[in-house]
Formats: sequence, structure tokens, C-alpha cells
Amino acid sequence: MSDIAVSVQNLRKAFGSQIVLDDVSFEVPRGQTFALLGRNGVGKTTMIRTLLGLLPCDSGVIRVAGCDPATDPIELRRRVGYLAEDQSMYDWMTATELCRFLEPFYPKWNSRLADQYLDRFEIPRLTRIERLSKGQTVKLGLAVALAHAPEVAILDDPALGLDPVSRKEFNRDLVEHLQAEGRTVIYSSHLLDEVEAVADVVAILDRGRIIRQGPTESLRAEIQRMVLPHEIVRRTSAPAGLLDARRHGETWEVIVDGAPRFLEELAASGHAAQATGMTLDDIFEACVIGRPQAWASA
Amino acid sequence: MFVHIERGSSIPISRQIAEQLRSQCLSGTLVAGEKLPSVRELAQQLAVNVNTVFRIYERLAAEGLIELRHGDGTYVSPRRTESRSELSAQRDKFGLEFDALIQRGVMLGFTDAELRALLTSALATARKSQQ
Repeated sequence: MSDIAVSVQNLRKAFGSQIVLDDVSFEVPRGQTFALLGRNGVGKTTMIRTLLGLLPCDSGVIRVAGCDPATDPIELRRRVGYLAEDQSMYDWMTATELCRFLEPFYPKWNSRLADQYLDRFEIPRLTRIERLSKGQTVKLGLAVALAHAPEVAILDDPALGLDPVSRKEFNRDLVEHLQAEGRTVIYSSHLLDEVEAVADVVAILDRGRIIRQGPTESLRAEIQRMVLPHEIVRRTSAPAGLLDARRHGETWEVIVDGAPRFLEELAASGHAAQATGMTLDDIFEACVIGRPQAWASA
Repeated sequence: MFVHIERGSSIPISRQIAEQLRSQCLSGTLVAGEKLPSVRELAQQLAVNVNTVFRIYERLAAEGLIELRHGDGTYVSPRRTESRSELSAQRDKFGLEFDALIQRGVMLGFTDAELRALLTSALATARKSQQ
């Protein structure tokens, strides 16, 4: 077995003339949690649906738990647990009925495990799904996605529509039932502050491309904000990795990806500057809608 | 063991946890020989990535503050003589941060009495959560 649980190389997908995924590549090592971040409509769900073979890709190579979704979709589904965004379930069934209904589809379905998840997630067994709360429905979706003990779990915006307490509980379940058992997890979200605690690696998807990828700690170390006097900005050429530059009178507020190196360069030319850390939300915003152009006109 | 995480902070979660554990080891709040929760337990308790907690434990072990005993658990190490100077360095740093915070409070127009009241209530909360 290879140590890479999911690999995507040069994936492209267009709907008609609209390119939704443009040359996307990433790898997720076994046992890691990979968070796909992006604003609404940037292609997160399309990405996840192509991983599962629910949508064909135009070009590129995908391997999920050793399977190619194009040629081996059945085996892939046996090895992967999937929780769709807005998972629709037969809402006239009860949780028990749903489990009984799903069991024959999965040779490795473990009804004792399913039972344990229903217990631990405190899902009422005999209530119709239509009468469960949003949080209970998401947890039921997770329980049935995990009941066949999949190698890889793919969760499409699981925290969507959950209140803050349920989101935290959900994160705890993710840590307890997936990470602690060594499963590989891919999940999408647009809530960065939620993702930080749980993810090993985050990838920021924007307009069909992964524009930045890395462990949250290294993103925070690399991408920092600093305040520079106008004189320095005027005399220095824009650094590689400049994400955002705004002038406030005689000072500039700039955000640089590769801040430690830029600070060294500044120091070498006799300018001392200090950088401050940013929240993940700010980092995300700078990557996605930062405007570095102003530096050049200084 | 008490750890408080502020989500959405500009300080990375891993550093928040590491700094709190470090302070508690240096100050003796965590007593030498005390058994810490396992990596899994702490990850679950805090709802934080298992690998993150593992790396924090490794870092603190490398600093000599805790000891990872294979197959047994994680224990607080006895305090070394250097830890006194580390503790005083940490306290100095805290002093500077505290000064800056009070400065901000003054700039925001709090009266002395209001600032004292804030300190008293923050202190009460902190002592309560420690017990």
C-alpha cells in the first residue's frame, strides 16, 4: 500500500465554456486531514464530485485509495466514506431503517460499528429523518458514511448550517473518530477558523486553481503583515509573493507571502521592519482578494 | 490540566497550546512526575488535530519540560535549574504584554476603577477555571 491516500494530478473540468477546475494537483498522505477552502462557487463541490467519480473529469489523473474513479467507481465507493453537502436521505425512514437499507450496498458494512456511531452521536433511532435537527442529520450522514470503516472519508462542507456548538462537537467527532483511527480525511469548508484546529494541510481554491497550499502553521509563518514607510516602498522593488499593498499617508500596510525572507532582504539593505501575524481569515482574504498592484505605482 | 484556546486569533493554535503548557510546567502548576493526558485524549478534549498535539508534546519533550515514556505515557519532568531563568524570561515577557494591554485600555478611555474591576473579574475567572 502506498503512503499517498489521494492523489490528483493536472485535473481539469469545464462545464461548456466555463472552466471550473484548471490544472489542479495535490496529494494527501495516508492518515492526514486535508481541508479544501474556498468561497462559494469556486469549484469545491465539483472537485469532490470528480474525486468520487460522480462527475467525469476532462483530463488529469485521480487516485483515491488506490482506485481510479473513472474505471473503478464501485471499488472506490467501498473504500471511501462520503458525506455530501446538503446530504439528502429518505426522510420518511428512521435511522435504523436507513442503516438496514444501506447495509446490502457495502460488503464491509459493520452494523455493530453503525450502532456505536448512532449511540455516540446520540441520534434517535426511531424518529423519522425529516424530524431530526440539522445537526443530527449531519451526524447521521457521518455515521452511515463511516459504518463501512472506509480508508478515506470525503466530507463536503460538513459544518454548513451547523450552529457554533454543533460545529465544535463535529470537530471533536472528526478528531476522535477519524484522525485518532488513522483515517485520511478530505473536507471542504469556508470557515477558516474552524479548519485550523483540525486540518494538517489546507489548500485555498480560487477560480478553479489551488492558489496556496500548506500546513496552517507554515502559512502563518510565511504570510505576514508589515507596516513600511513610504520611502522604503518607493525605493524597493515589490517583493516576490506580495499579496496586498495599501497606502495610508506616509506609511504602507503590506502583506507578503514569504515575509521572513523579505524582512531579511530589507535588513540587509539597512531597513528594520517588523511583521505581525495574521488570522487565517485575514490570510485567506489576502490570498483571494489581495491587491498588490499599488506598490508598483509608488 | 487547563488549556484555553482562542479560535480566530492571530496566534496559531499550536503556539497557544504549547505556551500554556510550557508556562504551567515552568511555574510548577503542573507538578514534576504528574501524568499528562495522552496525545489522543488531549486532542479530543480540545478538538484539535492529533498530529498538532503530538508535535507540541515532541517540542516540549525536546525542551526537557516533559518526558514521553514509550508505551507508558507522558510525564512532567523535574524542574531543572535553567528553568528558573526561563520562567523569569517568560514573566518578563508577560510584564511587557501586560503593560501594552493596560496602555490600550487607557487609550480606550477606561478609568482606573474600571480597569481594576476588569482585572478583578478576569482574575476570578482564571482562578476558578484552574481549580
